[in-house]
Amino acid sequence: MLFFGLKQLYLFLMKKRHEQKLIVLAIVLVATFNIPLILLFDSQQSIWGFPAVYFYVFSIWLSSILISYFILKRHYE
Amino acid sequence: MKKILIVDDEPNIVMSLEYTFKKKGFQVFIARDGSEALELLENNIPDIIVLDVMMPKVDGYQTIKKIKENEKLKETKVIFLSAKNKTSDVEKGLQLGADKYLLKPFSVKKLVSEVDELLG
Amino acid sequence: MSSLSLFVIIILYLGILFFLAFIAEKRATSKWVNNPYIYTLSLAVYCSAWTYYGSVGVAATTGISFLAIYLGPVIAAPFWILILRKIIRISKQHKISSIADFISLRYGNNRLLGALITIVCVLGTVPYIALQLKAISETFEIMTHSVSIEKTKVFSDYTIYIALLIAVFATFFGTQKTDASEKHKGIVASVAFESIIKLLFFLIVGIYVTFFLFGGTEDIYNQISSSANITEITTMNGFENGFNWFFTILLSFFAIFLLPRQFQVSVVENNREKHLKKAIWLFPLYLLLFNLFVVFIAWGGLITFGNSNNSEYFTLLLPLQHGNYFLASLVFIGGFSAVISMVVVSTLALSTMVSNNLIIPYGFLDKFSRNQNDKNARYIKGIRRVSIFVIIIASYYFYFYFSVPLSLYSIGLVSFVIISQLAPSFFLGLFWNRGSSKGAIFGLIVGFLVTLYTLVIPVSISAFTNSDYFVNQGLFGINFLKPYSLFGLDFLSPHAHATFWSLFFNGITLAVISLSGKGNYRERNYAEMFIDTRNYSKLGDSALVWKGEAYVADIKNVLTKFLGLARTERALSLFFRKYDLPPDTQMADARLINFSEKLLTGSIGSASSKILIANVVKEEEISLVEVLQILDESKEALASNKALNEKTNELTQLTSELQSANQELIFQYKQKDEFLDTVAHELKTPLTSIKASAEILQDDFDEMPAELRNKFMGNIEQEVDRLSRLVNHILDIEKLEHNRAKLILKPTNMLNTIEKVTRNLSQLAKEKNILFEIEDVSSVIALYDEDRIIQVLTNLVSNSIKFSDKPKGKISFSFSQKEDILEVYIEDNSKGIPENDKNHVFDKFYQSENQNTLKPSGSGLGLAISKQIVQKHGGEIWLEKTNNEGSIFVFSLPFN
Repeated sequence: MLFFGLKQLYLFLMKKRHEQKLIVLAIVLVATFNIPLILLFDSQQSIWGFPAVYFYVFSIWLSSILISYFILKRHYE
Repeated sequence: MKKILIVDDEPNIVMSLEYTFKKKGFQVFIARDGSEALELLENNIPDIIVLDVMMPKVDGYQTIKKIKENEKLKETKVIFLSAKNKTSDVEKGLQLGADKYLLKPFSVKKLVSEVDELLG
Repeated sequence: MSSLSLFVIIILYLGILFFLAFIAEKRATSKWVNNPYIYTLSLAVYCSAWTYYGSVGVAATTGISFLAIYLGPVIAAPFWILILRKIIRISKQHKISSIADFISLRYGNNRLLGALITIVCVLGTVPYIALQLKAISETFEIMTHSVSIEKTKVFSDYTIYIALLIAVFATFFGTQKTDASEKHKGIVASVAFESIIKLLFFLIVGIYVTFFLFGGTEDIYNQISSSANITEITTMNGFENGFNWFFTILLSFFAIFLLPRQFQVSVVENNREKHLKKAIWLFPLYLLLFNLFVVFIAWGGLITFGNSNNSEYFTLLLPLQHGNYFLASLVFIGGFSAVISMVVVSTLALSTMVSNNLIIPYGFLDKFSRNQNDKNARYIKGIRRVSIFVIIIASYYFYFYFSVPLSLYSIGLVSFVIISQLAPSFFLGLFWNRGSSKGAIFGLIVGFLVTLYTLVIPVSISAFTNSDYFVNQGLFGINFLKPYSLFGLDFLSPHAHATFWSLFFNGITLAVISLSGKGNYRERNYAEMFIDTRNYSKLGDSALVWKGEAYVADIKNVLTKFLGLARTERALSLFFRKYDLPPDTQMADARLINFSEKLLTGSIGSASSKILIANVVKEEEISLVEVLQILDESKEALASNKALNEKTNELTQLTSELQSANQELIFQYKQKDEFLDTVAHELKTPLTSIKASAEILQDDFDEMPAELRNKFMGNIEQEVDRLSRLVNHILDIEKLEHNRAKLILKPTNMLNTIEKVTRNLSQLAKEKNILFEIEDVSSVIALYDEDRIIQVLTNLVSNSIKFSDKPKGKISFSFSQKEDILEVYIEDNSKGIPENDKNHVFDKFYQSENQNTLKPSGSGLGLAISKQIVQKHGGEIWLEKTNNEGSIFVFSLPFN
């Protein structure tokens, strides 16, 4: 790209509604990763060797990856 | 006895002219369009032809062309009668060999005097 | 392992990187270099030595808090669809090459702001780079067992040579072009490669520790759960830590946007917006994989070594402890990769900022405006190269003299807090159009000072003097000014506390100062551009409002100094073509000013380009109101552009319609001419008859027989009738054609109407032995003007009668109703209409040839008038069928 663009042919096009799904996901992540919600899972228990709070964080983390993957795959134009 | 051919599709005009020239002692032939006129001319050679321009089937222009092609008719005079009063129309008529071009509506007396003049 | 052989490994590895970067530069357009995976992996420059070594240390000592550093980016990733995309669009449009450029452009190309941001970034990054060097140095020591290096002799430390090699790498691949906004494909490719290496080797060592040294995750958990501080390292540790946790997430959220190296890879090096699509889910996945084994390595180390000393290097120490030197070397290479990518990208980003936002605008502009192009390019590259070396050497000294007592984690957090001071001006600037440069500058200064007071100074004091006096007593012994619990806020960790207060004061200052003044028109212009990206990117170069006097030649002169004559001319000719301006345009407009500033921005930064262009033009002050008005107008113009296009299309269509209408008109004029001719002819013919008859009567009235006299008088009467009929018809058709005829529409029974017509014409019909037949229906009601339709029917029927040639004539009427249309059929068994007359029967003065033997009874207008009448009713009239068996005429009338 010398000088001004060859036209931007590779714009990221997505419907506003589907974009907003990602925004909502991010907001949900803010809530679930923080107090007070995170404290609900803050216990001495463990699952597969992961302490409960780690397990909780990793599960949310993984779900968010899957959710954004599917949103982008389905609604990306 | 002079012979005159009147070619017009208007029966009332024909009637007036027929009356006028018969009264003047002409032998009058009548045709209602160009083709009828040409048919008549095969057996008759008039001294003068009074020809309407706008006629169905074969119009006056086409008729005069045929007349001028005919050797036997080279002595025959032709007077055009037409409502077409544009100079271009008049010129066209004269160019095609007409001796006179009279505009409709014309005076019968004028036509008679023109015919007299032409036939000397 | 001997230090020399390790050094050789390092050199070999660097050789591979050089080779890789070199290939990538050569094949800059290849799919291997330009794909979303490379982009995502380059974002992983986020994972530096801090991640690679520091996380394990934190996991082993304070527990879960290391994760917060990655949750910020995880939260940020879905937001990228909105925020990062916007940033990328703006940056591409303005050829932005660093975060300092980005923010200072938003605040009206403010030179001071750009410089301050650069300083903040340098201050925040140099310790961070030092931290990387410290990791190299310490892992180098661990690998070679060279227990203590004489810290006083810089040149006996391998770290300085490694640092210099990294600087060479960054210089070689980072400063090939003067335009810093251009892509550095070599560096990006090498960073992506290193991201694979560091993740892969970290996973290998994670699996090795978890499944080979121990019996899996549950085994490690069971073993560690018997240790003393298990609660501390496996849980959140209560409510207050929840706040620390929150602020750490916030810091990392900011960092993923604001760290100079992140801005470099995610924005400047982004070559396709759609790569974000993959990065949004793939980057969090990368981070997840990186963090999966952190706790198990940490606990494995704790179990193995019994304490948390050197816990940051458990990844390295564990395989070494078990004699696995090969694996340890892999780990070392992985950590080294993390360091190189971070240092290279950071120094590249910083050097651009230092040159474009600090050195050039404050020292070299005068010189540049006198120099020639190639000399300027050399200078610019030179400044950047020197900057890279200076930054790396400064980092080395920082590491060498200051960082020894500090942990990776604490240095990293201090860096994050410093960098986060850009957040208010950055994020508010993207969404709030009133944020002003003054506000941004003061906010940044205040925030930075608060950070110094609450974090940098106390950390430094306790690290170097081991004195807690300042922390415990506060400034001048005032309790309220205790740096870790300012104004009594005492339950947050030092970094969370500093984050809160610094951002609080920073944001408040920015907001208050921005709102207390009216703001400068230029910064408001850029604010509008940044906030309403969608509209302004469409406006292109017209998005900048500028008023004044400028000559193309002067601007060209400036451009040539930096781009060279050939490039300048090419750029200008492209510009002129783009905006459809003549190539010899003399006066520059706002678009050219904006375009030229953009052209220079990549090379010398936005502030400098503004200054340089401003030097050669005479700008007039415009009021803020005027700027906003003009912007609104351009936006509206853009919006109406679409409508305009439609209008243009309409107009084009209209024009062609007009043309054909014109032709039609010419045709009609000719027709009118012919019409008049014909009318004249048709009038003169009866007049000739009348005149002739009258003349004869006048002359011979007495002498001619009474019978003949009556005949001539009858002729006159007949011709007068013909004349008046003709005149009526002409007037009629004129009225109908020019819509001067009013229809009196009434619901009427068509059967009655037909009855009237046939009654009128019955005498004529009887003469020719014609029978009328009407379809047997009870009634046919339609809405029409009866007199007019009688006219139509009379015309049609009298024509039929006229042309009837059969011994037994027949005229029949029938009807059909199609939806809301009534069709009336008039069928006869006359001789029909010749083929070549068919299409002309409704023309004016068209008289069939067949008529010539008859005395013309029609005016030649009858059917033409009928057509007009039917059309005025909204219907049609046509000749359905004709042959020598007869004809069918049809006319239709709509019901309403």
